[in-house]
Amino acid sequence: MEKPVHPYIPTLIEEMNEGAISRRDFLRRATLLGLSAAAAYSVAGMADPSGTAIAQDMPKGGNLRIGMRCMEIKDPHLVDFAEKSNVVRQVCEFLTFTNRDNITEPFLLERWEVSEDLKTWTLFLRKDVKWRNGRQFNADDVVWNLKRVADPAVGSSMLGLFTGYLVQEIETGEKDEAGNPKKSSKLWADNAIEKVDDHTVRLNAFAPQIAVPEHLFHYVMFMLDPEENGAFGPGSNGTGPFEMTEYTVGKNARFKARTDYWGGGPFIDTFEYVDLGDNPGAAIAAMASKQVDGLSEADAVQINAMKAFPHVAVHGVQTTQTAVMRMHPDVEQFKDKRVRKAMRLGIDRDAVIQTALLGAGVPGEDHHVAPSHPEYFPLPKYSRDVEKAKALLAEAGFPDGFEVDMTTRPDPNWEFNTSQVMAEQLKEIGIRINIKTLPSAQYWEVWTSSPFSVTGWGHRPLAIMTLALAYRSNQAWNESKFSNAEFDALLTEAEGILDPKERSKVMARIEEIMQEEGPIVQPYWRVFSTVMDKKVLGFELHPSQYIQAHKYAIAA
Amino acid sequence: MATFLFKRLSMMVLTMVAASFLVFAVSEFTPGSVARKSLGPFATQQQVDILTEKLRANDPLLVRYFRWVGVLLGAIPDPLQDPSTGLNFTDPRGAQYFGNFGYSTLNKLPVNDVIWDRLANTALLAGLAFLLIVPLSIAFGVLSGLKEGGALDRTLSVVCITFTSIPEFASGVFLVTLFVILWPVLPGTSQLDEGSGWPIASQLVLPVAVLVIYDFGYVARMIRVSMIGVMERPFIRTAVLKGMSTRRMVFGHALRNAMIAPFTVLLLQINFLISGVVVTELVFAYPGFGRLLLEASLFGDIATLEAATLITVAIAVTTQFIGDLGYMLLDPRIRVS
Repeated sequence: MEKPVHPYIPTLIEEMNEGAISRRDFLRRATLLGLSAAAAYSVAGMADPSGTAIAQDMPKGGNLRIGMRCMEIKDPHLVDFAEKSNVVRQVCEFLTFTNRDNITEPFLLERWEVSEDLKTWTLFLRKDVKWRNGRQFNADDVVWNLKRVADPAVGSSMLGLFTGYLVQEIETGEKDEAGNPKKSSKLWADNAIEKVDDHTVRLNAFAPQIAVPEHLFHYVMFMLDPEENGAFGPGSNGTGPFEMTEYTVGKNARFKARTDYWGGGPFIDTFEYVDLGDNPGAAIAAMASKQVDGLSEADAVQINAMKAFPHVAVHGVQTTQTAVMRMHPDVEQFKDKRVRKAMRLGIDRDAVIQTALLGAGVPGEDHHVAPSHPEYFPLPKYSRDVEKAKALLAEAGFPDGFEVDMTTRPDPNWEFNTSQVMAEQLKEIGIRINIKTLPSAQYWEVWTSSPFSVTGWGHRPLAIMTLALAYRSNQAWNESKFSNAEFDALLTEAEGILDPKERSKVMARIEEIMQEEGPIVQPYWRVFSTVMDKKVLGFELHPSQYIQAHKYAIAA
Repeated sequence: MATFLFKRLSMMVLTMVAASFLVFAVSEFTPGSVARKSLGPFATQQQVDILTEKLRANDPLLVRYFRWVGVLLGAIPDPLQDPSTGLNFTDPRGAQYFGNFGYSTLNKLPVNDVIWDRLANTALLAGLAFLLIVPLSIAFGVLSGLKEGGALDRTLSVVCITFTSIPEFASGVFLVTLFVILWPVLPGTSQLDEGSGWPIASQLVLPVAVLVIYDFGYVARMIRVSMIGVMERPFIRTAVLKGMSTRRMVFGHALRNAMIAPFTVLLLQINFLISGVVVTELVFAYPGFGRLLLEASLFGDIATLEAATLITVAIAVTTQFIGDLGYMLLDPRIRVS
């Protein structure tokens, strides 16, 4: 079957040949528009390193054990930590897969097509996928899952991503205790998510959106069996390579390989997560005595301790994971945008990276758009300028600086160290920060309501995804309460622009707004790292921290 | 004896009532609702409110306390296990039985399914440690108490004080560096799991060693002081003067008298070993009672906390009772009225 090619693809090829866009950008664009990864890589003249091409000559058998926290999982569509998603992932799968290079490929989909105006997305399902109970994976399953996450009563973080093209905010007519009107949201039209036939689903959006395939890879967007109605536990049905046989919070999770999996692998017979608790030393000790074959994550301090072990291989990948110091613009001290800018000028980024990350990071530019993001626009860099920062503070009415409380949590370690280093640096411009540390569980109660805090943000392949979640007005995850009409409008515009050159012009303005009046100080982008025993084959560290056990094998 | 037993038992029940109420009252003032912690950071306030309602966490303190007592005694069925709540909490033992500790909001399992395994694990750890602490501390205490200020006393005192003053997390890391990394003969963590390639017995060595190192010196110091006191007594002087061998003097006369006070201290170590092993369990990722207690209190899992409190109180009262019986055996002058 000849696939219809999106009319924009020839233009992309031309732009790549002229050098207007990079090969990486071409790959990203072309695959987003529905060109298969293999075809895109071949047009670009590159070898396809994608995850779908799994080597078949891997050794078979064995049990693989990975150290990771085993937290309580209520509903896969509500998971809020990569660790929880990593448990569900072995059983249930996504429609798409974004690889290490931020290139998105079909996964449970065979392919997709998108209309010229980027509003109509047609998703073609693979026909060879079966649930573990033998039933064929079909369009009804997809429609049920997509509609479920769009339901505000379910409360999935997908809602924030869908808002603006599939989901609309509505006034409920009720008012909350403070007298503000309560808002809710719903799908903008009855046919917003539409079944075309048994293996085809169409998304009809009211606004153009280029990142749909990436959204379908958001870490909660699992395809669950509708019959289980969002519950998850041992024995849960799934299309994935493993069956979960045991799950004990705080102890372990065990999986058994499926023999009739539709994709490549799995090579190992059984797979296990082992909970080593919160003490970073326990993970090192478990690796040293080979009680686990790897860890889901290891910080710079742990890596330093383990890199000398002869049986351990260190894996690292540059991510768009970061920690931001963010402030509510409605608080007395932070009202004036000059104060926020002064704080950005008061930070020595290299010193933060050296101290808090032991060098494992690259400087951030305060706009939450990373150089590895396709829409990144390089603005002039600025370095620490204490005098200018003090001058800005004085102009804003704080010639002697001010004192303020900042909420943080004690773990992860790098996040807490970052808070301390930045607080120390800001002293020099006269901002005296009292760090108030809350246990993580309590911190998450106030993470959006605390006026001033430091928060970690995960890796996302597109900057517009994070910007839409964290800085668009009134979003559930908008922890900084940032609200800027121009920013919102530009973001919506950027979400619908296909041409990379045109788009980066819009991004340039967005980045400027963030640097001039934005609510954050962003010191760095983190290098994410972990360790695996050298006998583990096929492991590639994914920037989203995703564990894909069906690709791994154990050397004989 | 019967009245004595009765008194002790009623004291135990009274202590349990007071302690369990205190736990409820204290968690009342701990910030952060259980519903929020269950749903995670990204849930909306509406979801939190619905779950709070389902968990009946908004009822007044006294209502919740007496409901918990009723469920524990088997007087009423656990309301959280009612299918109509949609919480999906089911206990294979049924919703109403004596000793129903309720449902753990942290583990999403009946507390009775979680806590006993964990307690057994810690009992194993504590039991092994206790078996080593008793003879070691008696030997060290007696030897240094024999001649106060002698070379042996000085040496042993330095050893005891040094060991006792090293916190568990430090000695844990030290032992791991030595026996896991530099000279790899022992496993670095103790999940009591056969699948890790290390026998269970080898997994117990390091945590037990940490507990013994931390605790035995303290007990030895207690025995030493008591021993010194006994050695100054006239009947010991008489025994020495009449030419009795040191061995006979120590085992026949001094030791029994010197053990009366330290006996209590030794029994108190059982309480410490059951509920005070949090740090050791954390260092070695040991699936024990202490770690459960820590996680439950951070999460605000009141059902688990209450069960742990009652168990700890029961252990404390039992060891106290054993202590009283032990006195009678050690000192015939003590008679319980």
